[in-house]
Amino acid sequence: MLAFLIAGFTALMIGASIGPLQALNYGGINAYPALHPVLKSYYQGLTIHGVLNGYVFTFFITSGLLVYLPARELGLHPNLLLWRSGFVLMAAGALMLLWSMFDNSSSVLWTFYPPLQASAVFYLGMTLLSIGSIVPLPILLEMRATWKHRRRGELTPLVTYMSLVTMLMWGLASIGAVAELLLQLDPWALGFTSTVDPIIGRTLFWLTGHPIVYFWLMPAYVSWYGLLSRQAGGKLVSDPMARLTFVLLFVFSLPVGSHHQFDDPGFSPIWRGILVALTMSVALPSLITAFTIGLSLEFAGRVRGGKGWFGWFRALPWSNPGVAGQVLAAITFIFGGATGVVQGSWQLDNIVHNTIFIPGHFHVTVGSVTAMTFMAVSFWMVPHLTGRSLISRRLALASVWLWFAGMSIFALGMHWAGLFGVPRRAWISALPPSEYHTLYGMAHVPLALVAIGGVVLWLATFCFYVVFFGTILFGSRGTYREPIPFARAFGGRESYAIDLPLTDETTPVGIVAHPALSPLARTLEHVGLITLGTAVVTAAAYIPILWPFVHHLTHAPGWIVW
Amino acid sequence: MNTQSPGPDFEHAFHRSAERHERVWIFCVVTMLLLLTAGTMFYAVYDYGVVTKGAAFHADPTAPARETAFQDGRVIQTGPNAYSVYMVGHLWMWSPSPIHVKQGAAITFYVTSTDVLHGFEVQGTTINLTAVPGIVGTVSYNFSHPGTYHIICNEFCGIEHQAMIGRIIVDPATRS
Repeated sequence: MLAFLIAGFTALMIGASIGPLQALNYGGINAYPALHPVLKSYYQGLTIHGVLNGYVFTFFITSGLLVYLPARELGLHPNLLLWRSGFVLMAAGALMLLWSMFDNSSSVLWTFYPPLQASAVFYLGMTLLSIGSIVPLPILLEMRATWKHRRRGELTPLVTYMSLVTMLMWGLASIGAVAELLLQLDPWALGFTSTVDPIIGRTLFWLTGHPIVYFWLMPAYVSWYGLLSRQAGGKLVSDPMARLTFVLLFVFSLPVGSHHQFDDPGFSPIWRGILVALTMSVALPSLITAFTIGLSLEFAGRVRGGKGWFGWFRALPWSNPGVAGQVLAAITFIFGGATGVVQGSWQLDNIVHNTIFIPGHFHVTVGSVTAMTFMAVSFWMVPHLTGRSLISRRLALASVWLWFAGMSIFALGMHWAGLFGVPRRAWISALPPSEYHTLYGMAHVPLALVAIGGVVLWLATFCFYVVFFGTILFGSRGTYREPIPFARAFGGRESYAIDLPLTDETTPVGIVAHPALSPLARTLEHVGLITLGTAVVTAAAYIPILWPFVHHLTHAPGWIVW
Repeated sequence: MNTQSPGPDFEHAFHRSAERHERVWIFCVVTMLLLLTAGTMFYAVYDYGVVTKGAAFHADPTAPARETAFQDGRVIQTGPNAYSVYMVGHLWMWSPSPIHVKQGAAITFYVTSTDVLHGFEVQGTTINLTAVPGIVGTVSYNFSHPGTYHIICNEFCGIEHQAMIGRIIVDPATRS
């Protein structure tokens, strides 16, 4: 687990240190000529930033977390051979990606849309990384089968259930990108085919590219539902609602990927309309989460003595960086969710599509919800795994507050500037000053905010890595290892928790099911049927979209133009 | 902090109230999302003009740009107050550019690309269309204010992507 944690956060470190350069670019400051020996262009830096933060960082942390937590919850050993081979696949993929990005042969950004043509090393690395990230699925299925066999008739414990649904979702979702890579891009880059169909590649990419945001989000939700309420000193208000949320995310995230293509030509407006309705439905599970997590935190705050309308919020254990990070992450997600609804709204999307409104949105979602939650998780997990205590709780707190502040300023600027039509991923600081002024002069204030936010984020990154690597290397060793803070569910009827004290590591811990009394939770136990249903709906959504593309193939040659 | 921890009575009461509020919340959320969906649909149908549509597919990505309409680079009058513009995105410029159109006229853009993906965004409007090699997409718009509008490429297309800017000059409608 520690290896996954270190690999993931190392990727984030490289990726995040490049981020502020891009923020400065939007502020009109062109730092790239000074960096020429390392980075040839803004676009090369942006490719590294996107691939490392979006894929490598999240895949490593998630593949570790979603095996480790369920294994501890069930008290079972995961299949270590599989888990390690997943790690090796992803590590090999990540190294190939790094190689091909740093030699500037593959500055195609993290979306790698053909017919821009990266090197074969890039596509093969991406293929290995994607395949490696699916490995937790068979491990989880095997552990769950063993557990169910020993405890017949009982419901899967919550953390395992949530992890399994996340991996099932990802298993289905990754079909799109893996197909694009294996069928289109790998043979094309290796020279077996000379042309590629851009719109099919794009559609397959978004088949994965949309659910991937839930692959970023759901592991954070696992921590919010499965751990946070206990860390905050309370209980989870509703276990069946947590299950329902995960299933809804699973079902609705898959068929809607083409809402990233509202502005693409070539498929029917009727499908665009259906996509709008489905996309709006994805907001439902997130709003349920807002309610359940909010209420669980309120309960914790009141148990800790908070009074009145807002007293409970103040009474939360803010001095614990593991809690503070997650609560702040949840707050940023309110804005992330709201702007997501804007983008899903078809007509509104015409105004913001591919402007920096979009990266504004995903920085207050994946860039805060996921990144901050994973940072907060590392604050208890590193001591838990190494037996060393955090070298500085204050610095850890500073890093999450600075991240929160920096990301808020940055995202405010990005959303605002997006409304003036400032495009995303454009090296606008390389334009002649007069041209920059004519085009984007009216967005001067928001663009300055982007740059300031970027600098604050760089400070946050620095604080975090001092704590993270400092603790691993120099933290003082203790004999007592903190147990995993598995939450207990609330109430009589719908509780699955065993109210045993968590004594030491050998006790099987976690939310273990009482004989099921909630019909909802029992229905949701049929994950196989849910997967099948989602697969059918996804196929039904994609066949009409891909149909005209497959019947009108375009043979586009590759371009290397950076 | 309160030293006296609330007992099981508090927990029970909290749970009862939580369940009640949960139902109300879900009802509100579903209603809100239904209204939002209906609202956005209504706008899409009511204001159908800016919906992106596909006009033609080609196996050879350079084929559409060789058609007369694209090669002429002229604004073509198609009705009393309706015009068509055939726009090609290529590394790294929009052609034709600059173009003149009339304020208040219905303009239909036919947009394609001859090389990589480009993004046809007209700053300050709702025009936003991906230029895909091999596909001609179309979008209609009515410029209600005169002035200079910038076409900004918003899909990454290589090292000079940021400089791929075109111009549409909207001339004031003459009063007759």
